[in-house]
Amino acid sequence: MFDAAAVGVAFANLFDPFTMILLVVGILLGLVIGILPGLGPPIAIALALPFTFYMEAVPSLILLLAIYNAAIYGGSISAIAVGIPGTGAAIATVMDGHAMYKQGRGGEALGLSLTGSIIGGLVSVVCLTFIAPVLAQVAIKFGPREFLAISIFGLVVVVRVAGANLFKGLLVGGLGIFLTTWGLDELNGAERYTFGTYHLYEGIPLVPFLVGIFAVSEVLIGAEKALKRIEFDKTSLTVRIPGLKTLSRLKGNLARSSLLGTIIGIIPGEGAAVGAFFAYSEEKRRSKEPEKFGTGIPEGIVAPETANNATVGGALVPTLTLGVPGSPAAAVLLGAFLIQGLAPGPTLFDERPDIMYSLFLGLFLINILLLFIGLFAIRFAAMLIKVPMTVIVPTVLLLSFTGIYAVSNSLFNVGVLLAAGVLGYVVRKLGYSIAPLSIGFVLGPILENSLRQSITIADGSTAEFFNTPIGLGIYAALALTILWGPISTRVGGRTAGKAEDP
Amino acid sequence: MLTQRLANIVFTVLVIIACAYFAVVAQGFEAAGLLASSGLPSRFFPQLLLGFTALCAVAVLYAYASKGEAGDEGQTVFGSSAEGRRGLLALVAAVVSYIVWQNFGYIVMAVTSGPLLCLAMGVRNPVIYGVVLALAAGVYLVFTQLLGTQF
Repeated sequence: MFDAAAVGVAFANLFDPFTMILLVVGILLGLVIGILPGLGPPIAIALALPFTFYMEAVPSLILLLAIYNAAIYGGSISAIAVGIPGTGAAIATVMDGHAMYKQGRGGEALGLSLTGSIIGGLVSVVCLTFIAPVLAQVAIKFGPREFLAISIFGLVVVVRVAGANLFKGLLVGGLGIFLTTWGLDELNGAERYTFGTYHLYEGIPLVPFLVGIFAVSEVLIGAEKALKRIEFDKTSLTVRIPGLKTLSRLKGNLARSSLLGTIIGIIPGEGAAVGAFFAYSEEKRRSKEPEKFGTGIPEGIVAPETANNATVGGALVPTLTLGVPGSPAAAVLLGAFLIQGLAPGPTLFDERPDIMYSLFLGLFLINILLLFIGLFAIRFAAMLIKVPMTVIVPTVLLLSFTGIYAVSNSLFNVGVLLAAGVLGYVVRKLGYSIAPLSIGFVLGPILENSLRQSITIADGSTAEFFNTPIGLGIYAALALTILWGPISTRVGGRTAGKAEDP
Repeated sequence: MLTQRLANIVFTVLVIIACAYFAVVAQGFEAAGLLASSGLPSRFFPQLLLGFTALCAVAVLYAYASKGEAGDEGQTVFGSSAEGRRGLLALVAAVVSYIVWQNFGYIVMAVTSGPLLCLAMGVRNPVIYGVVLALAAGVYLVFTQLLGTQF
């Protein structure tokens, strides 16, 4: 399983000067985009996608992974400095981070978030390095019935996590999958919803759709709030890395949040934001002084920041081994693999182990460099919080238009980008999450092919359709996931009821 | 102000109509030659999904129309009428920019889209217009000079 030659190639790929420059550029770009409120990791990756079209696989993926990691961390800077989370993943950081900043301890808060992010990121990369190859070896034996079960599991979990209303999530998830049925039927060549245009023979293109869903919809939402001014006090922006004594006191928190973030990252869903909230709640629950959470304590920053960066490595486990994205950002990252002619999945580990090892090593390096770049760049990067939305909105829209055209040389694809952006805007305004829509769009082809092949294999027999121990295990986990909420509510309700009884 | 309840009712009704339309269109899918008899028909998966999506839309519609248990009762789609105006005008500006590109080329679109969006957002500060135009020129130069894109 371990391929020393591939590791050697990976080192050579990674330490290529161009790749190293891109790694640093990626961290800086990620920090900048993460800081800007509203522009999270999926948008950061989506905006950089067109540039990777001109690159080799390793440098392009390293650039995007650096952006992904740094953008998640960058969100905490605006959360701490102005109380506005740069990304959804930093929402939980606002409570204690901004409280600390207001007490004049901004440098300490920024140091804690940077340290937590790096430790979480490194732990998750270790997990990714050990879990992914093993899972790929198992997944290579998967057939259509197992892939069908995994895809359904992934989609339903995303829907469960994405919002309070199950049917709203399922509706947009179904819509996302339906849109993948447009184009020529791969199995028998039938034209489906092509409306007489050859542009649609290959279906709705993935990259313009995802960039539209994330970037254009965000631009339109940003335009609504464009005139709000952001003011902040820039004193106390010098990062203060916590000492060994503080780290030793927080070691349990760091370990738990890292593992929790990694596990939540592996489960397909919203990724970083959910991981951060879970870790924050868990630490609050375990604390002897839970009332202090929200008043500006280190534990309240370390937990969410460690967990949200830990979800990066976790989210890459299903993405790389199964082709099932672990988060919306990972869904956009899948587009980068496709641009490079690579199909993420179990066979990729056999076919291109050098790329896989390059990514693992690259993620280690990204996390380590993030520490040094973060230390020096935060003070300057934080100034970007003041860039008004009235400048960001037109620039991001033009970048999206131009980038998509540059990749495909097709105005039709720019039209798809715009249409997807309008769809994303409408559904977001109506209280739907775009995570099921985007992940449904990525999983659609896997779902259709595996369903049709499973039905053909079963040959009309329901027993044969479900004659898959792994698949049944996944369906059982799915049932548990769906039923867990109502069961825990009922059990919790009964316990509370008993406690209230005299 | 447009309430979430009304907007969601209209949206789900539109989704149900669209599902019905696409399901009817799917009836006309025809596979080519010998492949026609292989496996499940092409319409199977789209129609399955359309049925599923329509069912979910009915459930959401029911929640908003009768039970009022959708979790956002009394909320509006836009925070204020000014926000709504800015959002919708920005949407129109984006569509107009695309049409301008189709008819007059990339450069005209790049020069006009920024100011159009600024107008839509109600920007009065000329410095912002200048910065946006300078950034548009930067985007053009990066793509043409660095990446070799031809518009």
